Amino acid sequence: MKQKSSDESGLIQSTPLYLLTTMILLAVLAVSVLIAVTFGTVKIPVSQVYQVIMHELFGAGSPDLGTGSVHDVIWLIRLPRLILAIAVGMGLSVCGVVMQAIVKNPLADPYILGVSSGASLGATVAIMLGVGAFLGAGSIGICAFVGAFGISLLVLLLSNVGGRSNSIKLLLAGMALSSVCSAFSSFVVYFANDKEGMQTLTYWLMGSLAGAKWQSLSFIFPIVLLSVLFFWTQYRSLNLMLLGDEVSITLGTDLHRRRQGYLLLTSLVIGFVVYASGMIGFVGLVVPHLVRMLFGTDHKKLLPLSALTGAIFLVWADVLCRVIIPNTELPIGILISMIGGPCFIFLMTHKKYGFGGGRS
Amino acid sequence: MKITTEHLQAVLGGSHILKGVSIEVSDKDFVGVIGPNGSGKSTLLKCIYRVLSPQGGAVYLDGKALQSYKPKESAKKMAVVAQHNYYNFDFSVQDVVLMGRAPHKKAMERDNADDYRIVRESLDQVNMGDFAQRSFSTLSGGEQQRVILARALAQQTECLVLDEPTNHLDIKYQLQLMDIVRSLQLTVISAVHDLNIAAMYCDKLFVLQNGQITAFGPPRQVLTREFIRRVYEVDAKLYTDPETGRLHILYESAGCGQLKIGGGSI
Repeated sequence: MKQKSSDESGLIQSTPLYLLTTMILLAVLAVSVLIAVTFGTVKIPVSQVYQVIMHELFGAGSPDLGTGSVHDVIWLIRLPRLILAIAVGMGLSVCGVVMQAIVKNPLADPYILGVSSGASLGATVAIMLGVGAFLGAGSIGICAFVGAFGISLLVLLLSNVGGRSNSIKLLLAGMALSSVCSAFSSFVVYFANDKEGMQTLTYWLMGSLAGAKWQSLSFIFPIVLLSVLFFWTQYRSLNLMLLGDEVSITLGTDLHRRRQGYLLLTSLVIGFVVYASGMIGFVGLVVPHLVRMLFGTDHKKLLPLSALTGAIFLVWADVLCRVIIPNTELPIGILISMIGGPCFIFLMTHKKYGFGGGRS
Repeated sequence: MKITTEHLQAVLGGSHILKGVSIEVSDKDFVGVIGPNGSGKSTLLKCIYRVLSPQGGAVYLDGKALQSYKPKESAKKMAVVAQHNYYNFDFSVQDVVLMGRAPHKKAMERDNADDYRIVRESLDQVNMGDFAQRSFSTLSGGEQQRVILARALAQQTECLVLDEPTNHLDIKYQLQLMDIVRSLQLTVISAVHDLNIAAMYCDKLFVLQNGQITAFGPPRQVLTREFIRRVYEVDAKLYTDPETGRLHILYESAGCGQLKIGGGSI
């Protein structure tokens, strides 16, 4: 990144810079939430929006603020949705970073080890065959969670057959299981011949934050946040993962068990993200690269910065989804791929950033 | 620090690579392991630096079996510079060297001022002090290997294992790296391709042939005309520089009968 050679003081210079950036991003995130909450299809005066929030948080203002449609729109629809956007953005970005380290491949995203196909299969059987219908409204999400988490376990298991697992075996096991799952999904879709179900499935696969509820947030948000903090403490091992197992043994760390642990935790987080918001692509791939471009690969900086960038990105993406076409909500997955794809191409061509493959 | 191996046996992909290798490296010795391609040099070193576990025999650090050390403990005693150091992600030079501090860190401990000081000193020792903020992947091969050496130095170990670190480097950088290593006064065990380099830097040589030690001793004693013909199947002349007293090996090119000076490792 930085081409300048530096004197001795340059060694520590970068640390305050990244701390400052972290602070700034935190502030930007807070401000983003405050602004984003005023956007929506229903026009509500800005002052009223904050009155409702102040009332719910601190009991300020008249008790009337606690009821009525304005209250419901802000407190039960907009705010949970924003909090979910933060959780999903953080979760996807950080899991992207971790997954790229686990499989030692810059092209990895959180879904690479078959998670997306597993989740799709789960959603497919839930929608088409009515599996898990007794779970009620959340059955699609729960089946997707089971599919995503289940396939991760299977990948982990499979990669350990016949010797210790490594990043190549993980990738291959992921690809193999992924194609099996896709085949079964297609099989179910083909024979169920259910047009309405297909529509539901397609819509679900595009991802959406519209299903946000305080009740599910009460466990998803803490899980994501704690995982992010946990991975932050593991930055040294994550750095070592990129050097490979051999080098890290000589540096005193056996990565085998850590890799399994990290994989389980990312699967869990991604499972919850999928449960709450369906499949949202590109965030987990682009955000880590974006941050790496500016701040380098050191996970100590990469993790917190990716988490915050991902959260801000998703908050604004969700706002755009709601306002870009009047009176219609665009599925967030579509929007992000529409923006994310060109961004990715721009990164590839415009910056002296080699995605690890050296630079031109 | 003392390193010994006893009857090391290693089987890789069904073939017996090491057939009972015993070597002994004393404190502050600069020991070279030589032998033709496929003789098991790298395998021997990998057993010593724990990347491979031997099927038989054992490695001892200071008389204690290597397996009884935790990876972190052995990484505080022994640092490694190996030949392949291609990284798929960009790290700054400082980040790379800072990883050398990993064995000294507890699970959740952060890097402190001491670590940064050690990183700075290590980089200065390999004359890369000005490169701390550069991206590792933009450096030349010679510079990269010096950074890896700095990482090994940041581990602050008594022993350094060199697994053909100068492969693919120009002669200038080969000599530079070996000069730096020599000046550190550590226990060094190094696989060496180039017999001239071995003669220049090593106090003692072990010769590996088909997975067995066939000769050992000071370079002058080991490296003879007959020895080179027998082990490397090349005719050579040995020559002692009257000014420096150094041993030089001049190879005769097999086909044309011309004299050729230099390592000619590959």
